[in-house]
Amino acid sequence: MVMLPEIIVIVTAFAVLLADLFLDERRRVVLAPLALVGLGAAFVAGLAGTSSGEVFGGRFVIDAVGWWFRLFFILAAFVTVVVSLDLLDGRTSVRMRGIGFRGEYYSVLLFTIAGMLYLSAARDMITLYVSLELSTLPLFVLAAWRRDHAPSGEAGLKYVIYGALASSLLLYGLALVYGITGETRMDALAAAVTKASPGALWFASGLIVCGLGFKLTLVPFHMWAADVYEGAPTPVTAYLSVASKGAGLVFAFQIYYRMLGPWLQDWDLAIAFCAAATMTFGNLVAIVQNNIKRFMAFSAISQAGYLILGFIGANAEGVPAMLFYMLVYVVTNLLAFACIVWFGNETGRERIEDYRGLAQTNPMVALGFMLALFSLAGIPPLSGFVGKYFLFSVTAQAGMHWLVAVAAVNSTVSLYYYLRVIRQMYIEPPAEGATTLPITGTLAVTIGVLSAATALLGIIPFFYETIHVHTISWLASL
Amino acid sequence: MGLLSWIIAVPFITMLFVVCVPARQWRAIRWISAFGCGIHLVLTTILVYRYWQEASPNMEAIRSANLATLFFVERIPWFPSLGITYYIGVDGISVSMIVLTSLIIFTGSLASWYVDIRTKEFYALLLLLVTGVFGVFVSYDLFLFFMFYELAVLPMYLLIGIWGTGPKEYAAMKLTLMLLVGSAFVLVGFFALYHASGLHTFDLQQLATVTYKNDFQRWVFPMVFVGFGVIGALYPFHTWSPDGHSSAPTAVSMLHAGVLMKLGGYGALRIAVYLLPEGAKMWALFFMVLSTINIVYGSFGAIMQKDLKYFTAYSSVSHCGFVLFGVATLNVIGFKGAVLQMFSHGIMTGLFFALIGMVYGRTHTRVIPEMGGLAKVMPWFATMFYIGGLASLGLPGLSGFVAETHVFLGGVFGNPWSDRTATLLLTIVATMSIVVTAVYVLRGLATVFQGPITNEHYLELTDARLPERLSTGILAATLFVVGLLPWLFINLTESSIVAIANRLTTAGTP
Repeated sequence: MVMLPEIIVIVTAFAVLLADLFLDERRRVVLAPLALVGLGAAFVAGLAGTSSGEVFGGRFVIDAVGWWFRLFFILAAFVTVVVSLDLLDGRTSVRMRGIGFRGEYYSVLLFTIAGMLYLSAARDMITLYVSLELSTLPLFVLAAWRRDHAPSGEAGLKYVIYGALASSLLLYGLALVYGITGETRMDALAAAVTKASPGALWFASGLIVCGLGFKLTLVPFHMWAADVYEGAPTPVTAYLSVASKGAGLVFAFQIYYRMLGPWLQDWDLAIAFCAAATMTFGNLVAIVQNNIKRFMAFSAISQAGYLILGFIGANAEGVPAMLFYMLVYVVTNLLAFACIVWFGNETGRERIEDYRGLAQTNPMVALGFMLALFSLAGIPPLSGFVGKYFLFSVTAQAGMHWLVAVAAVNSTVSLYYYLRVIRQMYIEPPAEGATTLPITGTLAVTIGVLSAATALLGIIPFFYETIHVHTISWLASL
Repeated sequence: MGLLSWIIAVPFITMLFVVCVPARQWRAIRWISAFGCGIHLVLTTILVYRYWQEASPNMEAIRSANLATLFFVERIPWFPSLGITYYIGVDGISVSMIVLTSLIIFTGSLASWYVDIRTKEFYALLLLLVTGVFGVFVSYDLFLFFMFYELAVLPMYLLIGIWGTGPKEYAAMKLTLMLLVGSAFVLVGFFALYHASGLHTFDLQQLATVTYKNDFQRWVFPMVFVGFGVIGALYPFHTWSPDGHSSAPTAVSMLHAGVLMKLGGYGALRIAVYLLPEGAKMWALFFMVLSTINIVYGSFGAIMQKDLKYFTAYSSVSHCGFVLFGVATLNVIGFKGAVLQMFSHGIMTGLFFALIGMVYGRTHTRVIPEMGGLAKVMPWFATMFYIGGLASLGLPGLSGFVAETHVFLGGVFGNPWSDRTATLLLTIVATMSIVVTAVYVLRGLATVFQGPITNEHYLELTDARLPERLSTGILAATLFVVGLLPWLFINLTESSIVAIANRLTTAGTP
C-alpha cells in the first residue's frame, strides 16, 4: 500500500472529529491519545512501508526523498500533539481562555499533515496546488485558535491575507506554465520547459518563486512570520516553524527538481543573494526582539536562509545536505519550542527576560533549551553544526566562497542573540522568590528525548549516510 | 580504543561523572575532577614515554620526511560520503602541546579548589573545554579539528559570564564573538582547501600532498592565518584577550592564556603554513610586521597597567607575539622557538594567573599600587611570582630564555623569500621589547612584594595552602626543567618541525 500513511492520517483525522462529536467533555481526554496512536501508526507504516511506488497512473508517487519528508512531517505532527496536550487538557498553571475544542484542534492539525504528505507525493500540477492549499488553509485556522485573544486573531487574519496573496501569485505562475507548455503532469512539463519561450517563462518562474518565498519565509516575503508566530498559540507556532517550513521545502523540491529545474539552474546568483539577505536580515532583526516567540520567528527566517544554500550549484551533495538539515531543524526547533511551550504554560510569560535564572530553578529544562539554541547557532558538536557544515560545503563547492563567509559570519551573529537567552537562563540570578516550576511527565520526556537527539544526530553518521545513499539514487532516477 | 582516544575521552568521562553527582556534593565534585585530571596526567606521561620509544629509532626518517610522521594513529570512517574520518594521531608538536594542556588543567583544577559557587557546573564546563583542546591537538582531519576547536571556545562564554569578575558579560561576549568570527574564516579556508584539492577528503595529510595554485594560496593563506591569529591574539585582533583574561576566573584564565591561545599558533603552523607553503612565503613579511607590533605594543601596554590581571594579559599579548613571530620566520629555528614559546608561555601564564587568583582571594585587590611588601607574609607566593616573572623576561636557566633566543635567531636568519634587511630590522625592534619587559616585570614585582607592608590588613594574610603549593610548584618546576634541560623538549619536537619546514623548500611552484 503506497498510500497507507496518508490514509491512516486522514482516517485518524475523521475518527478524532467523530469521537469529539459523540463523547462528552469528561471523556474527550482520549482524543489526544487517539491522534497520537494514529500518527504513530502512520509513522510506522511510513518507515516500514515501501520507499518507492506509485498510484493513480503516476500522479501520486513515493520516492526516497518523499519517504524522508513523510517521516519528518509525521514526526513534527506527533511532537506538536504532545506539546499541545497540557494546554488543551487544561493542565497549565496559567488559565488560558479560549483554548480548547480539542477535537477540532487535533483533526485540523491532522488534515494539514495530510496535505503536506500529499504535497511531497504529487506529480501533477493540479494535485500539487490542491495539496498545498490543504496543508495551508487549516493552518490559518490554527493560528487564530485563541478566539478571545486579539493577537491570535490578528495572526490568523494576517496569515490568511498574506497566504492568499502568495497562493494567488503561485497559481498565476502555475497557470502561465500550463499555458506555455500545455501540460499538467510534471515529467511532461519539465521536458516541455526546456524548449519553451523564455520571456513568459521568466515571468512565470518569478511568480512561482515569490509564492515559494512566502512559504519558506525568505526575505523579502517574510513579513507575515513574526506577527503570526507571536500571535498563534505556542504549540501552533512550533508546528508552523517546522512543518510549514518543511512543506515549503518539499514544494521547492517539486519546483526545482521536477518542474523548472533546467530553467532555474541559472538562478544560482539570485538564490545566493536571497539566501544572504534572508540570513542577514533574520539575524539582525532577531537581535532586538524581546518576545521569545518573535525572536524564534526571526531565527526561523535566518534558518531558511541557510536551508536554501543547498540549491546552489545544483550538485548532488545539495539534496542530502538540505534533507539532513531539515531533519536536524525539525528536532532542534521542536526542542526549543517544547521548552517555550512549557514555560508559557507554567508562567504565562513570553519575554526573554522572564527566563532569568532558569538554570538554577529548572536545570534540566534550561540545559535542553541551551542545547537547542546552541544547535540552532551551529555550535559543534551539536547536530545544527553538522547540518550547516554540509550546506556550507555545498556552497563552497559551487565556488561561492564569499557566501560561505557571509553564512559563517552570520552564524556568529546568530550566536550573539541566542546567547542573550542563554545569558538570562545561566548568568542572571533567578527573580526573587522564584521556585522550581512543575513539569508534566510527557513534556519532560519529550524535552529529554529531543535533547538527546539534538546532541547525537550530528555525531552518529547513520542518518546522513542513509539520506545520502537514498538521495544519490533518487537524483539518478529523476 | 587507543591511547589517544582515551586522552580525549578521560576529561569527557570525568565531566559525565561530575554531571551525575548531585550539586550539593561539591566536595566530591572537586575531588572527582582533580582525580580525573590526575589520571589524565598519568596517561600523558605514558604517551610521552611511548612516543619517545617509537619515535627515537626513526628520528632521521621523520626529519627528512616531507609530511608529518604520525604515531598512534586511529582512523575510522565517519561520514564516508563526504570524506570525513575520525583521524587522530600525534607528532612531536602535538605531544608537547598535550603535555602542556595536561599540566595546566591538572594545576588549574587544584587552583580552583576554592570555587564555591555552582561548583558542579564550573567543573563540568572546564572539563568540556579541555576535551575540546585535547581533541584539537590530536586531530588530523579538518572537520574533526574544527569541531574540537569550537568546542574549546564555547564553554568559555559561560565560564567567564558566570564565575568571572568585573565587566564579565561584556568580556565574555566580546571574546566569544571575536573568536567565532575568526573561526568562521578558518572554516571558509577549510572548505576552499577541501574543494580545491579535488581529493574529496578532509584528511590533513592527504590535503598536504596537493600543490595548490599560487593565486589560491595567496588569498586562502591570510584567511586561515588571520582566523587562527585571532585566537593567538594577533594584532589588531587581540582586543578580546585583555578583557577576557582579566574577567575570567582563575582556572579559566590559566587555561585560556595557557592553552587556548596556543591553538592559534598551533593552527597557524600546522594548517596555514603546512598546507599553504607558497602563501606563507608571500605573506611572511606582512605577518612578521604584525607580530612585531604585537610584541612591542603588548609590552608597552603592560607597563601602563595597574591591574595585575590586565598586566599579565598584556604581557601575554606580547609573548604570543613571539609565537607568531617565530611562525612567520619560516625557518626551522624560528618554528622551534615558536613551539617552545607556546609551551613556555603556557606554563608561565598558567603560573601567573594561578598566583594572581590566589593572592586576590586573600587581599581582595588586584590593583598593583595598593599592594606592597607581600613577600613578608606570603613568601611562597612571592618566590613563585619571581620565578614566573624572571621566566617572562627571559632569564637564562628558565624556559623563556630558550624560547625567545630561538625566535630571535630565527628572525636573524630570516627566510630566503622575504626581504633580508626588513626581517633583520623587525627582529631588532622585537628584541628591544625584552628591555621593556624587564622594566615592567621587575617594577611590578618590586611594587607588590618588596618594601614595607602598606596595609595593616595584609599582616593577617596566610601563605599558600597545600593544593595551592602543589599547583604552583609543579608549574614553576616545569619552567626550570625546560630552561635547564631544553634538549628534552627540543628533541621531542624538532624532527616534526623539520618535517614542516621541509615543505617550504620542497613544495614546488605550479
